[in-house]
Amino acid sequence: MQRRLFLRKTLSASALLLAGGAGALKSLVAHALEWPAALFDLENEPDVVKGLFGDTEITESSDVVIKAPLQAENGAVVPIKVSTSLPGTTMIAIVVEKNPVPYISSINLGESAGGFYSARIKMGETSNVTAFVSAGDKVYKASQEIKVTVGGCGG
Amino acid sequence: MAFTTKMKIKQVDGGHDVLCLVNHPMETGLRKDSKTGELIPQHFIEIMTFQLNGTTVAEAILGQGVSKNPLIGVRFTNAKSGDTVSVSWSDNQGNTGSAEATVQ
Amino acid sequence: MRRLVISAVAASLSFGMLFNANAGNVEEDIAAFQGYFQKRFPDVELTAYEDGVNSLPQYSHRRANWEILMDFPPYEPEMDIAHEEWAKPFANGKTFADCFADNPPASQYPYYDAETDDIRTAEADINACLEANGEAPIENLKNGKIARLVSAFKEQFNGQTMAVDVSSEGAQAWYEQGKKFYWTKRGQLNFSCADCHVHNAGNAIRGDILSAGLGHTTGFPVYRTKWAVAGKPWGTVHRRYDGCNKQVRAKPFKPQSAEYKALEFYEAVMNTGIPIKSPSQRQ
Repeated sequence: MQRRLFLRKTLSASALLLAGGAGALKSLVAHALEWPAALFDLENEPDVVKGLFGDTEITESSDVVIKAPLQAENGAVVPIKVSTSLPGTTMIAIVVEKNPVPYISSINLGESAGGFYSARIKMGETSNVTAFVSAGDKVYKASQEIKVTVGGCGG
Repeated sequence: MAFTTKMKIKQVDGGHDVLCLVNHPMETGLRKDSKTGELIPQHFIEIMTFQLNGTTVAEAILGQGVSKNPLIGVRFTNAKSGDTVSVSWSDNQGNTGSAEATVQ
Repeated sequence: MRRLVISAVAASLSFGMLFNANAGNVEEDIAAFQGYFQKRFPDVELTAYEDGVNSLPQYSHRRANWEILMDFPPYEPEMDIAHEEWAKPFANGKTFADCFADNPPASQYPYYDAETDDIRTAEADINACLEANGEAPIENLKNGKIARLVSAFKEQFNGQTMAVDVSSEGAQAWYEQGKKFYWTKRGQLNFSCADCHVHNAGNAIRGDILSAGLGHTTGFPVYRTKWAVAGKPWGTVHRRYDGCNKQVRAKPFKPQSAEYKALEFYEAVMNTGIPIKSPSQRQ
């Protein structure tokens, strides 16, 4: 009896880890949140998306709103704000397609948190920046290109 | 090494924006020390937790892609005047920081 | 100090003779300068020039950088330090506030001091205060502590409009020096301040957009992202003049030199009517 329970628990845990789904990052109120090292090792956006959401279908949504400059003043400090009024929002993630480590940051949102995330991020070059929103059991996204230029007259 | 953690609470339509600014190098591990030529080791905040009256409301995962002196902002929908908002963070080298404020 | 005064007087006398015809025309200069920008950027209110390049339509695709950063200005932790530094009593118990109680408001800085025939900047008065109270003056006049102290002083006057006094002959002589500097080409690239910030305001200079000369000093000291990334985020007006001169491949003058004081004086006069907004967050 105990052996079977043990096996079942181990299997579901590893299933979560393998799928790398949003469940793996889900706020664990009883335990400390584990920093997802594996996601930060991924080098391209499709792998990051798979790592975050498994095979869940991702839908473009005009209800995921990115506020960000069209052109960054400095690639080291690019301010981004993501807003959504999609009900049941539990997570917002930011991915920069052309960064060497595309997974930038994500936030797990409990019940008293609104659909909002603001961060200052690093961008190595002009790139699409995508905000992913987990709401209910679906995933939505929106993208914006942010230009990063080097060289000017700055003193 | 002191890492100042500052928090700002702004009332907005739909709740309160809670913004946290930390003086932290957020080193990627790819930069070289200009004097020694050595790579500066990775040093960045990994987890930042936002709480309302002691209950976790949001948990942010950060990494080397977040700017130096990071600003992270979330929105609280249920905070009331007099409530305690707190933020705490931990980095990959074992440092921590926190700040606390009362909602006006 | 005496040598500086003598050469300043000599300079002002010679310039006074050259530009005597213009001595009474400061108001006309202001009207012409401000009118030029209002015509070039018809949708930008005069007061908006306090926000520097962010106010220009050509900057609209970058403006969100500044807008979003201002949700929580990056300079705020430094300003906490600045407030402490401004308030901390000297060994003799006096404070900067005691010195500055006798000084003009920030809206009238820099000001002409007839007794020494010199332009007094906020930086100079901070150091004068330190020295008068037995403390060591600040040597670094480009960034760091001096910029924090100037910000702590100026921010008390945020919203007040610039109103530098140019009524005396001595002030007008310094004004004419600064005006001449502004409109004189220099450096290997042979640019004057006006070439970029008047004739090409809003145009691109490599990857950047040129700010309008109008409003230039109202936001200083500046806290710049570019400088912050390099570890020295603050800049006084003279730090910026130094950088600009280097960028046109001209040998820069020293911070608080007569040349830069005259230039700052001229710019402050051109900013008449524009509100102070210090410190400012810039690229």
